[in-house]
Amino acid sequence: METEATRSILPLLAFALPIVAAVLTVPAQRVSEHARAALLLVVAAAVAAVALVLAAGVASGTVYDTYILQLTPQIWMYLRVDAAGALFGATVAVLWLLALVYSLGYMREEHRLGRYYGFFILCLSWTMGLAYAGNLLTFLIFYELFSILTYPLVVHEETPEAMAAGTKYIVYILFGGTLVLLAIVLTFFSAGVQTFTAGGILSPETDPSMLQVIFWCFLGGFGVKAALVPLHGWVPDAHPAAPAPFSAVLSGVMVAAGSFGIIRTVFQVFGTSLLTSMGVMPYVTGVAGFTVLFAAALAVNQDNLKRRLAYSTISQMAYVVLAVSLLGPESTVGALVHITNHAFMKGGLFLCAGLFIRRLGAYNVQQLDGAARRMPITAACFAIACLGMIGTPPLSGFTSKWYLGLGMLETEKPWLLAVLLGGALMAAIYLLPIVYRMYFREPVITPEDRTVAEGREAPATMLGPLVAATAITLLLGIGASLPGMPVALARMATDAFFH
Amino acid sequence: MTSWPPLLVLFVLTPLVGAVLTPAVSDASGRRSWEWALGTMLLTSAMAGALIMRVLDEGPFSYVVGGWVAPYGIELRFDEFSAFVAVVCLLGLLAVIFSRHYARDALAPGRIPYYYTLLLLNMTGMIGFIVTGDLFNLYVFMEILSLSAYALVAISGEKTAEMAAFKYLVMGAVSSLSILFGVGLLYALTGSLNMADVTGRLAGSAEAPLVLAFAALTLGFMVKSALFPLHIWLPDAHAIAPSPVSAVLSGLVVKVGILGMLRVYQIAYGSGAIDLSGLNLMLTWLGAISIVMGAFFAVFQDDIKMMLAYSTISNIGYIVMGLGLASPYSLIGASVHVFNHALIKATLFLGAGALIHQTGRRTLTGLAGVGRSMPLTTAAVSIGAISIVGIPPTAGFLCKWYIALGAMQAGEPLFAVALVFGALLIFVYYIRMVNAFYFRKPQEAGAPAVHEAPATMLVPVLILAALCLVMGVLGRLPLSFIEPAVTRLLAPLGGG
Repeated sequence: METEATRSILPLLAFALPIVAAVLTVPAQRVSEHARAALLLVVAAAVAAVALVLAAGVASGTVYDTYILQLTPQIWMYLRVDAAGALFGATVAVLWLLALVYSLGYMREEHRLGRYYGFFILCLSWTMGLAYAGNLLTFLIFYELFSILTYPLVVHEETPEAMAAGTKYIVYILFGGTLVLLAIVLTFFSAGVQTFTAGGILSPETDPSMLQVIFWCFLGGFGVKAALVPLHGWVPDAHPAAPAPFSAVLSGVMVAAGSFGIIRTVFQVFGTSLLTSMGVMPYVTGVAGFTVLFAAALAVNQDNLKRRLAYSTISQMAYVVLAVSLLGPESTVGALVHITNHAFMKGGLFLCAGLFIRRLGAYNVQQLDGAARRMPITAACFAIACLGMIGTPPLSGFTSKWYLGLGMLETEKPWLLAVLLGGALMAAIYLLPIVYRMYFREPVITPEDRTVAEGREAPATMLGPLVAATAITLLLGIGASLPGMPVALARMATDAFFH
Repeated sequence: MTSWPPLLVLFVLTPLVGAVLTPAVSDASGRRSWEWALGTMLLTSAMAGALIMRVLDEGPFSYVVGGWVAPYGIELRFDEFSAFVAVVCLLGLLAVIFSRHYARDALAPGRIPYYYTLLLLNMTGMIGFIVTGDLFNLYVFMEILSLSAYALVAISGEKTAEMAAFKYLVMGAVSSLSILFGVGLLYALTGSLNMADVTGRLAGSAEAPLVLAFAALTLGFMVKSALFPLHIWLPDAHAIAPSPVSAVLSGLVVKVGILGMLRVYQIAYGSGAIDLSGLNLMLTWLGAISIVMGAFFAVFQDDIKMMLAYSTISNIGYIVMGLGLASPYSLIGASVHVFNHALIKATLFLGAGALIHQTGRRTLTGLAGVGRSMPLTTAAVSIGAISIVGIPPTAGFLCKWYIALGAMQAGEPLFAVALVFGALLIFVYYIRMVNAFYFRKPQEAGAPAVHEAPATMLVPVLILAALCLVMGVLGRLPLSFIEPAVTRLLAPLGGG
């Protein structure tokens, strides 16, 4: 039995405030650029504060909910903040705030800023709604809205490459969205509209072939967003095309939204016992395990830094699906924590990539030779995030992989440790050479191109968010076991899932 | 006032009288005829509001003209499906408002009064068709509607417009004959033309003529609705007509076929004299094919109105598929989409009309970069595009959701798959449109500087775009009266 929910206006605020801000962006920029920046910052900070308050409340045992609108006589749009949602919501809101601050510096000389900021803050709203959605239809609404309304951000540069990447993105994502819609129609038909419930809403008496269809539609649909091979094609193109701060949230939380959808589906639509009896999870383990290694292998070969990081995202987010597929409590804790940890590590890495582009004109790994001398702070942040990504203790990446490894042993699949360690090893292979180049190589300076020679550290608007992301990565690692940290929330969510 | 019986008669007569008098009150500039048409539409809309209040209060009601009861006299009937007049009046009103500048620039001054006459006659036909309880009157009003539509397509006087109108006329005349034939057969079988009366008398009729009658009616109505493969007249007629006319044709006039089918179903299910499962199967398949074919052809169009016209074929496919599946959910979905598609398609056509009027270009290539100079119009068109693809929570989503559920309910899950993937195909061509508006640079240097359309064009488009969103998030409003109507329609079948 679920705990009684407390009616609260806070979840509503978290998704309504950014909409207001998006609407006000255009009038605000008529006043001045500063007014627009102030508006966006205040709203993003307020959303982050709301998300943290909700997370703190949930950590102390409350569940919040709110009804928004009655869509049809049967279906309400309904928000419900449980432990999993609160953790994801807080991750989203904080990373978004950092990316927004970074944008103020990074995007200064870009075109069409009204459109960029309007959609950037609007997508925060949809992602918060996604995190707090209390039933499948609400989840679908936010999922579709944010899939489609991120399109202007992906193609922001309007270059032919960006347009091509945008087309690829929208086709993949809409295909996935269609599968999710189909799955939700089938679920509604089989079980009616129901709040996400631990233990599942689908009855075990449902026609087994129907259950199989629903499951694979969900997995295929969310798998596109979570970038499971072979549905990952949009990720390596969209990331290099998008502006760096948007790449950071794209990799940090949007790919994770697919994994989050899979978590909701597995634990709160089907439930562990039903899935065990359906016998589908070993296949998911196989797909996810393959994705971890395959994407990591592809990452080694990429020269474009953002592309390499994009493949790394595919590989890392597959860990989450791998962990979920084990259906064990420890691995589920690892999955939820890894979403948060990965968001800040990968977010940080993309923010670094943006700085290298802006300050050094460096898009490729080879151009980063000797970068540490010109940009010591950025390089240090990059190195820390790389180590975290590989899973070096005591950084946050280690925490999540520790739980994942425990889960593998707990569910008696020790051979999967090979995937876990193999992925980490590959991460070292594709990330550490970059660190080596930055610290131990001499920069190649050609007379025509002075940017490499003259590059300096970025101003505080860009460096600040990067340092903050790195600090969060350190904190999440060192302070992992403190109360109120992601591990505690993930533990609460897992206890509910396996109750 | 709301229950004053003759109101229903006045409701049909007002636009008719208004239409006839338009040329008489007009002045040289055509300004007076616009004011007159606007006044007529406002009055008609007010009556529609009063009638809908009453049907919500009391349920369906009817008015027997002159006290002559069936089968001798004429009966006007207003039920929940008749609530479509709300959309008819709203779109008619907005189309008239939109026409103020549009007609002045697109038509010769001498034709403007007749343009408004035809538009009002078209409204008369729609309204009469929807509220009549009599099969022969159904045919008469349909002819008023069709003839005024042919003339409206041709009104610009251009060669292509005349050709399109002629093509439309030929197909339309054949379909009208087919419907007349069906009505005649029903009269021969029952000796009555009143729908309720016919329903009561049909039981026990010989099967062969009955099948023939329903086949003739279905064929006729499906031509009017442009169901594949009877759609060939539609793209030219809808693309070439003046934009407010396109909005009325695509939003309302093609729905006549659907509403006609709903009346046919009311008779067939109510009498229980005929088993329609074969017909339903055919409609489901043709609907599915229409969805895919409409989307497929639209992808290759560069002309923005041509794209929208093909999209109407797809959307009629949704609705017909919903009718054919004949389960409660799918009928709800089809009925809701009759309303919502009218709003969405009117948004798109009026928006496209404003773009064409301001820029003088109608191809996607020519319209590249127009989002910068006309941000409000392109935003409205984009909302319409998102809505017609059925992205939640816009108005188009309800149809997709209910018809997909209906396909499950009817035990035909593959049609649910066809439906959602058809929508995916449709998105492909709308993304091209959005790309052209916002993300492509203007092709030609020195393109004329354009700005937003005048308020008479912009405001209708914005109202409609807002409705595309509102009808999605407040979907339960139309559903609250469509659900009982569908339940009643299916009640004779048992279960339901």
